[in-house]
Amino acid sequence: MKTSRYALKGLNVLGLLIVIAIFATPFVWMAVTSVKSLSETITFPPVWIPETIRFENFALAWDTGPFFRYFVNSLVVTLSILVLQLFTIVPAAYAFARYRFFADRALFALTMITLMIPTQLIFLPVYLQFSSWGLLDTHLALILPFAANAFAIFMLRQTFKQVPEELLEAARLDQASEWKIMYMVMVPMAKPTIITLLLFSFITHWNDYFWPLVMTTTDASRTLPVGISALTNVEGGVAWHIMMAGNMILVVPILIIFFIAQRHIIRAFVYTGVK
Amino acid sequence: MSGWFERFRPYVMVAPAIIVFVLFFIYPIGYMIYLSFHEWDFISPEKQFVGLDNFSGLSEHPEFLKSLENTFVFTFFSVGITTVLALLLALWINRPTRFYGFVQGAVFSPHIISLVSIAMLWMWLMDPQYGLLNWGLELFGLPQSEWLASPETALYSIILVAIWKSIGFNTLIIIAGLQSIPPHLYEAAALDQSSRFTSFAKITFPMISPTLFFLIIMNLIGSFQVFETIDIMTQGGPLQSTNTLVYYIYEYGFRFFQLGYASSAGVILLIVLSILTVLYFFLMSRRVHYQ
Amino acid sequence: MAEIRFENVRKMFGEDTIIPDMNMTIKDGSFTVIVGPSGCGKSTTLRMIAGLETQTEGNIYIGDRLVNDVSPGKRNVSMVFQNYALYPTMTVKGNIEFGLKNRKVPKAERQKLIEEVADIVGLTPYLNKKPQKLSGGQRQRVALARAMVKKPDVFILDEPLSNLDAKLRQQMRSELVQLHAKLGTTFVYVTHDQVEAMSMGDEIVLLDQGEIMQMAPPLDLYNYPANRFTAQFIGTPPMNLVSVDQLPSAGFNEKAVEQIGFRPEKAKLRHFPGNDQFSMPCTILNRETLGSEIIYQLDTLAGRLFAKTFNEPVVDAEQLFVSVNNEDIYYFKENGRCIAPYLNRETPIKVRSTV
Repeated sequence: MKTSRYALKGLNVLGLLIVIAIFATPFVWMAVTSVKSLSETITFPPVWIPETIRFENFALAWDTGPFFRYFVNSLVVTLSILVLQLFTIVPAAYAFARYRFFADRALFALTMITLMIPTQLIFLPVYLQFSSWGLLDTHLALILPFAANAFAIFMLRQTFKQVPEELLEAARLDQASEWKIMYMVMVPMAKPTIITLLLFSFITHWNDYFWPLVMTTTDASRTLPVGISALTNVEGGVAWHIMMAGNMILVVPILIIFFIAQRHIIRAFVYTGVK
Repeated sequence: MSGWFERFRPYVMVAPAIIVFVLFFIYPIGYMIYLSFHEWDFISPEKQFVGLDNFSGLSEHPEFLKSLENTFVFTFFSVGITTVLALLLALWINRPTRFYGFVQGAVFSPHIISLVSIAMLWMWLMDPQYGLLNWGLELFGLPQSEWLASPETALYSIILVAIWKSIGFNTLIIIAGLQSIPPHLYEAAALDQSSRFTSFAKITFPMISPTLFFLIIMNLIGSFQVFETIDIMTQGGPLQSTNTLVYYIYEYGFRFFQLGYASSAGVILLIVLSILTVLYFFLMSRRVHYQ
Repeated sequence: MAEIRFENVRKMFGEDTIIPDMNMTIKDGSFTVIVGPSGCGKSTTLRMIAGLETQTEGNIYIGDRLVNDVSPGKRNVSMVFQNYALYPTMTVKGNIEFGLKNRKVPKAERQKLIEEVADIVGLTPYLNKKPQKLSGGQRQRVALARAMVKKPDVFILDEPLSNLDAKLRQQMRSELVQLHAKLGTTFVYVTHDQVEAMSMGDEIVLLDQGEIMQMAPPLDLYNYPANRFTAQFIGTPPMNLVSVDQLPSAGFNEKAVEQIGFRPEKAKLRHFPGNDQFSMPCTILNRETLGSEIIYQLDTLAGRLFAKTFNEPVVDAEQLFVSVNNEDIYYFKENGRCIAPYLNRETPIKVRSTV
């Protein structure tokens, strides 16, 4: 009886280790490959421990394209989106949560419809639009469509709605203006939600490949994911070690942030996914 | 009260967001529908009205039909397998200890990584000659696979990557659903001497089925948009075996400049997504009754 | 300091009339308690004073000022809410200071005022804490301090003690009364609890379905109820009512009397009929011993009645008589109006019922 309990427990732990392996091995393999030599990538069976650790692969990868440019572009685009979203989302969510006005339901319905439209559906017409405005291959083309976010408005509206009416009445009796009620009372209360939404937005746009791929044509406005993807067609065949080194540059910072702020990030995604 | 401003305040507050939505989401949809009834190559000044010709053209276009078929196959397997595995995994690793927390983190980690990196990493893992996967298969005495290189297996390889990436997110959502089940239900069941299976069938499953429904719908919507892995790993090949709807739109719009054609394919995607969305809202209104 | 005057105030929510026509004057410096069953319009009345609701018709004056169109912040009214409504993201100090800042009170003066009120309510050590860190009673004090610091003309309290446990509630009751005595400001206090009303108010407004049933000092309300509603609302257990139809041998010199009533605490339990004007055989159905007092539930020919005794030995006989002195009997007309015994002392009404 006792031994079978231990056996079951051991089996359970073994199973969990296999699960971890399934998700960790590819990343480990990426790391191992990124410091190999070319010849070590083209042997079978594969080599797990390279003879010499070749950190120069990272420099080589970095030099295959204007990666610093890509990095700056990514940063500019992502941060601009976050700032703009802050200025569009908070007031809109507040108005939808707290005011009754003509066509409020219609405008909210419009927001909800937007929530359901993926970028994969509208890239073609938006591309044509930007091309007629002469905005193709600019940062603006990567920023403007995401200056507002329907999903975030929906979430934040829910948060604002949960603030008890009494609190607003107390503020009104304290002679606070509507503006002051918003930024002194309501916004501080919604801070956790706002941070969660910004975190979510940051990861989404930092990682985004599709939109910059479609809207950019030169390195002047390409972002990191698009730049990295160019490593697949390096001249003279595929160089796996360089490719993996390039991806390490993209992946490692995110993974580090993830393992530091794992709780918050998971909560951000789960929270935004369930509601 | 300063009446004038007070009355316009809400409009001023929602205006920036609404302008963005109309300009970049609502209007483009209308423009796309308009284009779907026209023939245009992006260069000529005139858009020629062709009625439903684009749609009837699509219906006879083998490449489009193949992409539609691939999209459905991809969606069916990736969503189906992801949901089932995520449910099992959630039931298994839903424990509050640190070790289980680590497992959850590991399972979730692909979700925050850019699809670009994931696609490139898996290309390497799936390399038919030097890839780690074939080495693994050999290790277990199994026959090696051509993975992305063969039209037989390419689509399923893409599906495998999709599952690997999204299973963690799905698992954690289901875990959140499991944790929101009030424990006193299980305590009551235990007092009634209900077996583990009965508890699952009568408490757990009914309580998380709303979560599962919505997860499935959201996964379906997501799957119909699959693009990044295809673009990086196979470019729709080999022999159209991984061409999907969005990739088709992308190619016909940006490579071949057949904008009318691409737009009408976009309209088809719009219809599919609309049906799923209506289903989503229908279920959402139903869900109120659960609570 | 101000009196509050309601002049033909009518309040409707959509089609529903909450308050049909209210006229009253709340005296300057009084501690007025508005009490009544839930849904009687007491909170609405309060919120109309604060300006959080606007009356449909009629005028409200605070002092000599007609406040119909004055926004809540400018009425010089402070309010303590049922759930305290403290700003959770601000410290205790921030909560108290918020209203002062909005009124552009200079910083030095703000500091002085905050220290003053914090001292009065005993919050000085907690000024830099967030409300979540405080106990219920402390939060209550923050709410009070926030209201006090503005030195309002009128102090409004909406069921402020309902979230506290029984012991703390008792303590806060007397603290509030003392605070009122110290400040001398007009207090308007809403509660559904008659014990709170009786123990705190110097003036009670009893509301039912938006109408003022009686407005009087607590003891007057108890001793001289104007009508059946007041008689039954004040006092626990409520006043016993017996229809005259069930008193076959009763004789009245007032034709319109429909019911008679007496308070349980005035009922006497005896083993013999006695000489009182009202006396009836009864059996004891139930006995609640609360220590100094005992509440009996009695079964009589006139239905169930209550009797309450103080510091008397427990009566355990089954067959008894319940009797009441003549001067303790109230008479109610058909329309519910009460003819109190004190009005009839010279010509006692004969009620006798020995079945």
